[in-house]
Amino acid sequence: MKIVVAYKWAPNPQDATVGAAGAVDWSRAKPAISEYDPVAVELARELADATGGEVIGLTAGAKGVDATMARKAALSRRFDRAVIVADDSLQGAGSTELAAVLAAAVRHIGDVDLVITGDSSVDVGGKMVPTVLAGQLGWPAVAEVSAVTGGAGSVRVERAIAGGTQVLEISGPAVLAASTDAAVPRLPGMKDILAATKKPVQTLTVAELGVPATGSTVTVKGTSRPDLKARKGQMIDAKDPAAAAAELVAALRGTGAL
Amino acid sequence: MTVNTWIVVAGDPAIGDLIDTARSLGGEVTAAVVGPRPVADTVAAGGVDKVIWFGEPGDAPVEAYATAVADAIAAAPGVVLGSGGPGGRVLLGAAAARLQAPALTGASSVSLDGADVVVKRSVFGGIAEETVAVSGPVVLVLDGGSVPAATGSAPVEEIASVPLGMTVVQTKPSEFEEVDLGAAVRVVGIGRGLKTKKDLALIDGLAGASDAEVACSRPLAEGMDWLGKDRYIGVSGQNISPELYFAIGISGQLQHMVGVRGAKTIVAINSDPNAPVFTEADYGLVGDLYQIVPALTDALK
Ligand SMILES: Cc1cc2nc3c(=O)[nH]c(=O)nc-3n(C[C@H](O)[C@H](O)[C@H](O)COP(=O)(O)OP(=O)(O)OC[C@H]3O[C@@H](n4cnc5c(N)ncnc54)[C@H](O)[C@@H]3O)c2cc1C
Ligand SMILES: Nc1ncnc2c1ncn2[C@@H]1O[C@H](COP(=O)(O)O)[C@@H](O)[C@H]1O
Repeated sequence: MKIVVAYKWAPNPQDATVGAAGAVDWSRAKPAISEYDPVAVELARELADATGGEVIGLTAGAKGVDATMARKAALSRRFDRAVIVADDSLQGAGSTELAAVLAAAVRHIGDVDLVITGDSSVDVGGKMVPTVLAGQLGWPAVAEVSAVTGGAGSVRVERAIAGGTQVLEISGPAVLAASTDAAVPRLPGMKDILAATKKPVQTLTVAELGVPATGSTVTVKGTSRPDLKARKGQMIDAKDPAAAAAELVAALRGTGAL
Repeated sequence: MTVNTWIVVAGDPAIGDLIDTARSLGGEVTAAVVGPRPVADTVAAGGVDKVIWFGEPGDAPVEAYATAVADAIAAAPGVVLGSGGPGGRVLLGAAAARLQAPALTGASSVSLDGADVVVKRSVFGGIAEETVAVSGPVVLVLDGGSVPAATGSAPVEEIASVPLGMTVVQTKPSEFEEVDLGAAVRVVGIGRGLKTKKDLALIDGLAGASDAEVACSRPLAEGMDWLGKDRYIGVSGQNISPELYFAIGISGQLQHMVGVRGAKTIVAINSDPNAPVFTEADYGLVGDLYQIVPALTDALK
C-alpha cells in the first residue's frame, strides 16, 4: 500500500502576538510539525506495516518547509521518504490553494492508495485542507477517523459521528483525516534522528506540478484584535482552601454569578 | 447587488442561521440536501427558494455525495454556505475544489460590497480577526443554528446521482449521555489536572452544588475518553456563553479559551501560578484542585 501523510510545518498562534493595530507578529512562534499530524503518521505507519507498504510524508508551503530543521523534524518521524513542495508563492496561501498543490503532488507521486491527514492544523485549524484535497482528486473523504484496516483499494474505517461511531467501507483511493486520538505517536529517538538524514527527499515547486488557477480573488482588507471582554483578574489567596472558597462564593453571589 | 447562495445540508436540517445569512445576501437561495426525504421536506418548508435533493441515501454516508453536490453547485456557482460537522466539511470541501474557491471558517459576519462578498472572521485559533473581500465564488463554513420553523413550501427537485464507493456497515451509539452545553447557565470545566477518571466524582459534586453542567478540555474527551466528545470546549469543540465558567486543572491554552470567551464570569483553579488561564480569569485560585474543589463544594452547600 502506498500511503501519503500530509503534514504541515507551522507555528502555534499561542506564541504569536497581535499588535494594537491588528498586525500578527509570528517572530516568537517557532514552526514545528503541526500538533496532530504525528497521529496521522502513526496511523499510516501501523497500516503500512500491517499490509506491507510505504509511507510518504508530503508538505507544501513557503521555502521554510524545506529548511534543515523542518526536514529533520519530519524525516525523524516514521516516514520512508518525503515529498516537499517548497515555494514562496505559497506564503499565506489559503486552504483551497494548499489543497490544490497537495492534490497535484499526490498525482505526481502516482498510484497513491490513501492520503491520511491530521485533524486540524495548529495555525489555520480550518479542517478544510483534507476535504478540499479529496475534492480536487475526486476521491471520497472521511474526517474524524479513529481506526483504519484493510489494504490497497478497499479500507474499513471507524469514525466519530454525533452520539457515537460508525464503521465505513470505502473502495478505491481515499483521503482520511485522523481524529486526535486515532493513534499515540511515538516520539523520535536518537536513532530516528540519525536515520532521518538518510531518507530520500524530493523537492518540488508549484510550477513543476501544474496546479489549477484559483476561481476567486481574495483580498485581505485588514486584521484586528478581537474585542475581548475585560476580566477582573482578581487573585484569591488559596493557602487556606476553606477561607478561599468562602471568599469566592461570597464574591460570586455578590455579582449574581451564583 | 444581490448574490445567489447555496446552502449545503449534510443530513441535518439545523440550518436556521444559514438561511438568515443567505437571505441577507438578497439573491435566490437553493438548498442542496443530502439525506433522507424528510430532511429535504423540512428544509423546503424552512424558507429557501428551492431544494435539490440527491435521493434516498440507503447505506451511503453523507460523504458519498460530495461529487454530486459539487457538480450541482458548479452548474450555478455563487456563495456556498454549510455547517462544519465532519460530513458537511467533506461536501463543502468538494464544492470548494470544484469552484477553486476559498473555503473560509470562523465567519462572524457576511455582507456584500458591490459584487464582492465581505467576510469578517476569526483566524489563527482566535488570536485575530480578519476582514476579506472575495470576488468570485466562496465557500463559508458556519454554525448551522437550529431547525427552521415551517414557513414556506419550496419545490423539491430530485437529482439522480451516483454516490462515491463508500457504505456504512455499522453504527454504534456512544457510551456517553448527550448534553447541550449551550443551554447551561453554569459550567464546570475540568482538564488534565485531574489525575484519574474516578476523580470526576469530585467535579460532579461541585457541578451538583453549583447547579452546573460538567465540561472539559479536549484531551479528556479525545485521548483519555473520560467524557463525551460533545463536552469539550474550544476552537474544535463547543463554544459556550454561560453566566459562570470554572476552569479547573486547565492550563488555558488559546484553543480552549476561545470557547469560553462569551462567559460572563470565569473562575480559574490551577496549581501553577503561571498558567495562562489566570490571564483570562475574573477570579483566580492558585492551589491543588483536590483541596480547593471539596472546600468550594462545601461552601456552596
Ligand atoms: C488545532 C488545535 C485545536 C485544538 N482545539 C482544542 C479545543 O477545542 N479544546 C481544547 O480544550 N483544547 C484544544 N486543543 C488543545 C490545546 O492546545 C491544549 O493542549 C489543551 O486544551 C490542554 O488541555 P488541559 O488544559 O486540560 O491540559 P494541560 O495543558 O496539560 O493543563 C493541565 C493543567 O492542570 C494543572 N494542574 C495539574 N495538577 C493540578 C492540581 N492538582 N490542581 C490544580 N491544577 C493542576 C497544571 O498546572 C496545568 O495547567 C487544540 C490544539 C490544537 C493544536
Ligand atoms: N500546507 C500543508 N501541507 C501539508 N499538509 C497540510 C497543509 N495544510 C494542512 N495540511 C493537512 O491538513 C490537516 C488539516 O489542516 P487544516 O485544514 O489547515 O486545519 C493538517 O493536520 C495536515 O495534515
